[in-house]
Amino acid sequence: MNLFVAIHTGLREIGSHKFRSALSMLGIILGVSSLIATMALTRGMEEGTRTFMQQLGGLELVRVTPKEPSADMFDFAVLSPGCTLRDAEAILANAPLISHVSPELTLRTTVSREDGGGPERWTVTGVMPGYFVIGMHSLAAGRFLTDLDSSHGSRCVVLGHTVASELWPGVSPEDIAGRHVLVDGAPFEVVGVLDLYEREEDKRARQAGRKVSTRRWDPFRSKNQAVLIPFSTMFHEFLSGKFPEDSMHTMKLDALTVRVGDLSRFPAALEQVRAVLNQTHRGVDDFELDTREDWFDRVESNMRAARLSGGLISAISLVVGAIGIMNIMLASISERIREIGIRLAVGARPGDIFLQILVESVLVSAIGGVLGIGASLGLVEVLKSISPSENVPVITAGGVVFSVIFALVAGLLSGIYPGLKASRLNPINALRYE
Amino acid sequence: MSLISLQGVSKVYRVGDQEIRALDGIDLRIEEGEFVSIIGPSGSGKSTLMHLLGCLDTPTAGSMEICGREMARAGVGELARMRNREIGFVFQSFNLLPRLDVLANIELPLIYSGIPASERRERARRVAGDVGLAERLANRPSQLSGGQCQRVAIARALVNNPRIVFGDEPTGNLDSATGAMVLEMFEQLNAAGKTVVLVTHDPAIAARTRRVVEIHDGRIRRDAKA
Ligand SMILES: Nc1ncnc2c1ncn2[C@@H]1O[C@H](COP(=O)(O)OP(=O)(O)O)[C@@H](O)[C@H]1O
Ligand SMILES: [Mg+2]
Repeated sequence: MNLFVAIHTGLREIGSHKFRSALSMLGIILGVSSLIATMALTRGMEEGTRTFMQQLGGLELVRVTPKEPSADMFDFAVLSPGCTLRDAEAILANAPLISHVSPELTLRTTVSREDGGGPERWTVTGVMPGYFVIGMHSLAAGRFLTDLDSSHGSRCVVLGHTVASELWPGVSPEDIAGRHVLVDGAPFEVVGVLDLYEREEDKRARQAGRKVSTRRWDPFRSKNQAVLIPFSTMFHEFLSGKFPEDSMHTMKLDALTVRVGDLSRFPAALEQVRAVLNQTHRGVDDFELDTREDWFDRVESNMRAARLSGGLISAISLVVGAIGIMNIMLASISERIREIGIRLAVGARPGDIFLQILVESVLVSAIGGVLGIGASLGLVEVLKSISPSENVPVITAGGVVFSVIFALVAGLLSGIYPGLKASRLNPINALRYE
Repeated sequence: MSLISLQGVSKVYRVGDQEIRALDGIDLRIEEGEFVSIIGPSGSGKSTLMHLLGCLDTPTAGSMEICGREMARAGVGELARMRNREIGFVFQSFNLLPRLDVLANIELPLIYSGIPASERRERARRVAGDVGLAERLANRPSQLSGGQCQRVAIARALVNNPRIVFGDEPTGNLDSATGAMVLEMFEQLNAAGKTVVLVTHDPAIAARTRRVVEIHDGRIRRDAKA
């Protein structure tokens, strides 16, 4: 008996016992669809987290933060000028693996409309143009700050979306660009407004017309609540008066971030930065390089855990489905002992009987698998609408293929025992069976 | 060289700790082209003997040569091949597959000979015509009379063109008119050169065969050639 005949016979057998076949397929359908859905869910989580990380600057972003120098360096600590604009310039000049540098000076002060309306205290940050690349900012309207703005010390400002819409509620970013604000009483032109950054679930809630909770912590705070002005403007307008002993180059920075140009040379880039800063800080280790690798690693391993546990649960349900097939194959064999006897009597070999039972079992799981794919589409739609997760599930070809192969293997394994049992029947005993 | 040759064949069934000696030292030779009937009272071992001859079972002791092969110690694959190629077996209770139509039932042995579908169809159709079933190919066994069912079974036994045809009380479930018709078919087969062995408890049928073997308590009591 060849495979083609076995498949044909198997299909006819399945077709003539529709209810029984459907019952044994059910386990496979549920298993496959939940496996695909779980994989889609974790994949969605992964993609959501990845975009989130990207929006926050990605792995390429490295923060230079001040720290207490080590004990043996403590006496020399005064020799170090700390983190200053000089560091930024030195890194840009001497660390070729660093593509962008952004020194920051911040000031918490009042920002209002030109007419003095809508005053509120925001954190104003003086930045270099590299800031926009490093933070991967994008614009809703207008432009970023430029080198020209920095060198001229122009009074121009880029506003985060939240700040802009609180100053001018209901006005579109296009209309806000070009207007003026008072920063600590000084008039500034709004040259650009940043995009609104929001979490996936907030976005969906907003698009569905539901109210978005504003009380929650906003992970994109630094973007949505940004008030960005040129670095030099910040120093000359607001800080030089308060700290007359400092020049722009000796003023201690509030933050210094750099962007690694090529991630594949990440460690070498960090080394270059360290070497430059050792020079400018005169050997005092009063700084740290804060990378996001640890954070990313933690997120990745959480994701792996979620994937594994979800996959495991679905795999268990597939195994249960396979046991269901085996059960029903065994039951159908005792129902078909006479048939098997007749086939043996006209010359079927035990191998033919084994093949027939095995093929039938694989067919049940294959049909169940295909139906399971269909069911998973529906399941994912349901998950999309009810899941509190912030990430839309994504069905992947890999997930589908994996689940179906798993189902086929389950069908194959669950056919082996019933197949062996059937093939060991003695023709005469089988024919006598009532 | 006989087509079938049994020497000291015994079959012992074990039921619990009881031994049932269904066949006890059978010596039997059947030549190619013979027409043999086996008679005997119920429980004398006729069916047991037919199952051994039909390679559906193997003896407990003794040697059994069929078509020049020693089958007493043959493996399951060898037995299956013999049933498939050299032997056609007709049962008292037809033993057709209820979910297959007439054509598919007749085709069944050819599936296990690895014959391609078109040739299977063709040969099954031809044999169905030979037994007068050309009009009923698409019927299920449940839609046929007993006589028609037995003709399907005979067609199935013949479809692979075996050298030997066995019948274990093939007319037992039929009325006398249809029984006579079925018997006639076996006679025609024998006339066409096939070796035919029938079990019967009907002396009238036995009288129409050239050789009658009578079994009693698992032993051959009489072997009469006409
Ligand atoms: N599978 C079996 N297990 C136990 N005893 C059996 C089996 N098959 C047949 N027998 C016994 O062997 C003897 C011969 O049976 P059988 O060949 O069917 O007789 P017949 O066909 O002549 O009526 C009977 O006593 C019967 O009970
Ligand atoms: Mg009998």
